[in-house]
Amino acid sequence: MYGSASTHDIPTQAATGLENEDPILLAEFEARIARGEKIEPTDWMPQLYRKQLTRMIEQHAHSEIIGSLPEGTWITRAPGFRRKMAQMAKVQDEVGHAQLLYSAAETLGKTREQMLSDLVNGKSKYSNVFNYPTPTWADSNVISWLIDAGAIVNQMANAKGSYGPYCRALDRICAEEAFHLKYGHDAVVHMATGTPIQRKMMQEALNRWWPAIMTFFGPSDKMSVHTEILMRWKVKMATNDACRQQFLDMYVPKIWEIGLTLPDPNLRKNEDGVWEFSEPDWEDFKRVINGDGPCNAERIAVRRAAEENGAWVRRAMQQPQARYVRPLA
Amino acid sequence: MLFSFDPRISRLELPESAPPPPDKAALDQFPTYEVFHQRKENTAYVYVGPVHAPEADVAFLFGKEQFSRRFPCTGMWVVPTEAIRVTEYGDDQQSVYDRLPLLPADALTTADAAGLEAYDIFHLKKRGKAHTHVGQVQAASPEAALQAAKAAFGDQRPVVNVWVIRSADLLRSDDDDRDMWTTTPDKKYREAIAYKVQDRIDRFKQER
Amino acid sequence: MNPTLDLLYRLADDQLILGHRNSEWNGLGPILEEDIAFSSMAQDKLGHSLQLYTLLHELGEAEPDTVAFTRNTPQFHCCQLTELPIGEYDFSLVRHFLFDHAELLRFEALADSSYEPLALVARKVKGELKYHVLHANTWVKRLGTATEEAIERMQAALEFTLPYALGIFETTDAESEIISSGLFVGEEQLQRRWEASISKVLAQTALTLPDLRLLTPVTGGRHGQHTEHLQPLLDEMAEVFRLDPTADW
Ligand SMILES: [Fe+2]
Ligand SMILES: [Fe+2]
Ligand SMILES: [Fe+2]
Repeated sequence: MYGSASTHDIPTQAATGLENEDPILLAEFEARIARGEKIEPTDWMPQLYRKQLTRMIEQHAHSEIIGSLPEGTWITRAPGFRRKMAQMAKVQDEVGHAQLLYSAAETLGKTREQMLSDLVNGKSKYSNVFNYPTPTWADSNVISWLIDAGAIVNQMANAKGSYGPYCRALDRICAEEAFHLKYGHDAVVHMATGTPIQRKMMQEALNRWWPAIMTFFGPSDKMSVHTEILMRWKVKMATNDACRQQFLDMYVPKIWEIGLTLPDPNLRKNEDGVWEFSEPDWEDFKRVINGDGPCNAERIAVRRAAEENGAWVRRAMQQPQARYVRPLA
Repeated sequence: MLFSFDPRISRLELPESAPPPPDKAALDQFPTYEVFHQRKENTAYVYVGPVHAPEADVAFLFGKEQFSRRFPCTGMWVVPTEAIRVTEYGDDQQSVYDRLPLLPADALTTADAAGLEAYDIFHLKKRGKAHTHVGQVQAASPEAALQAAKAAFGDQRPVVNVWVIRSADLLRSDDDDRDMWTTTPDKKYREAIAYKVQDRIDRFKQER
Repeated sequence: MNPTLDLLYRLADDQLILGHRNSEWNGLGPILEEDIAFSSMAQDKLGHSLQLYTLLHELGEAEPDTVAFTRNTPQFHCCQLTELPIGEYDFSLVRHFLFDHAELLRFEALADSSYEPLALVARKVKGELKYHVLHANTWVKRLGTATEEAIERMQAALEFTLPYALGIFETTDAESEIISSGLFVGEEQLQRRWEASISKVLAQTALTLPDLRLLTPVTGGRHGQHTEHLQPLLDEMAEVFRLDPTADW
């Protein structure tokens, strides 16, 4: 999620603009969502809904395409046929997810090329975890399992949201993620229960990634008017804390059962069933998401290079009479 | 040169830093095509999503791998988004056909059958789900096709939204190419079910 | 070498090395959708190589992983075409076009091989190869009739790649026995069919196919002689695998 990047930039100060919306249309719109019906692209929708959804789906799409890079780092080096083919298929799926999500965002009015342009110009954000490197094969496995697990928590929640095209894309994505999760788990288990070299490599990778994983769902939500509205409109489906708790509850026991440790002495489940942990370094998080992480420059440079190197192909394929229209659904 | 842990990236020899590129030219924006799949023989084609492509043949190549690489599929149709006539969206539980304005009779009945063309009709049964093919009608225009669709399929409900597509605008997979669509079952490595690791975990726990 | 082993190693190594090369585009392609399509075809190639190494294993050779990840340059029998770096998309597409036409025709012929397990594999992969060639033809036709820039690029890529492509059909000492035993129709036959097949597509473009008789095929690959690009590829591919040869990854 991949969509989590969006959750920490819900505006807290700016006006909602709701006072400028037609009250009758707004009431119908809210009634539809309250009935559990989805919103489709040609329906009337408040500006705030369009804007926030566009931003959220776009950032989710960017996170998929940028997210293909840290695992892509090991695509030519995956050990053995089984891993080699699965690693390729997984990275391919992430690119496919970007395609699905850009399409969903396009139905709200922003073109794909504009989104890609904003990405390479550094105007859009993507999930912060992908600004960290994967120096070993085990790092890639940690992403395949645990970052995807986090993404699935988010995506399953968002698939119950109110926007039809986003739900359709997420249904397909969630079906594909089942493979990612199992593949990632399988790879981590092989490493953790394997030879001393493998176990050491895996434990070190997990230690490197744990702080980033703990920031994956974003800081605790500031409950603002915006947050409330977006939850009522089923744009934001769960709080960051709820997602984090769900993730910890599902995966920490699975990490521990294969003899791996987590680098947080305060991590434990209390008697109320709530996970306690050391507060992540949110200052560092802010610094990295604003551009100063170990891989920000590389990620953007790679996307730029891909765009630039492919420009002649797109130029050649363009038909003079062709006219862009947004996808329908 | 930019350092990367990825040998593929190192081979690109990217500069350490570079000024941001200019905004992308609009010419990079291809038209879009909508893609439909048949999951099993003798079942209706269902909408799966759009692709960006310069022309239908390329959209076909793209649609196949984007939408059928992970799920079995026996056939595919692609159509330019622009060629789809869309009705308004109704509420769940309702039928948009009920809201269809009646056209004057002479707009519907064309004396010469030569002016008739086939149109494919797709229904959306519920918001958030996918449009599904319901059948074909013969008509002289997309508007007339919609009226004909109401006559032919109007008793089905709910119908939240209807897509009308001139059949000639659909690029369809060839029956002779069936074998192109039946390759997924051999690709187990892309399925969750291929990864069974519980035995290994149990063994590990016992040995500890 | 035993003719069956000789043939299988050439087939399998081609598929592995080109599949590996093409996978380098994953996530870096010119269009999102094309990125996905190209990756599928690379995966197919690896799948083919795995099936072929499995046949070799059944004939007493080492496990597929061992064969693929522990040999060095002189033990590889791929043609040099497959090992060249991916270059720009024009080269990768032209290589894909030239190789996959030969591949489709080769496996079509192998469907009648006297070695039944190989015939079975050949029949199984036909649907995939059909898509590969459809993909290659569509792109070559599009780019080969597009802008001046694209036509120039594709023509240059074609001229650069053809001598290597002719190396696909390099024969070994086993050739006459391969043909006489009905294992395969032979490289000469294949090359003739291939020329007809690529000519037909190129004729629909602004690209010109040079007179192939005037070109010197780049050979050696079938005999373990390779470009300087193969060993680094093998080292990279096996980097993790060789970290701990006893490990189950
Ligand atoms: Fe994904
Ligand atoms: Fe994933
Ligand atoms: Fe191929």
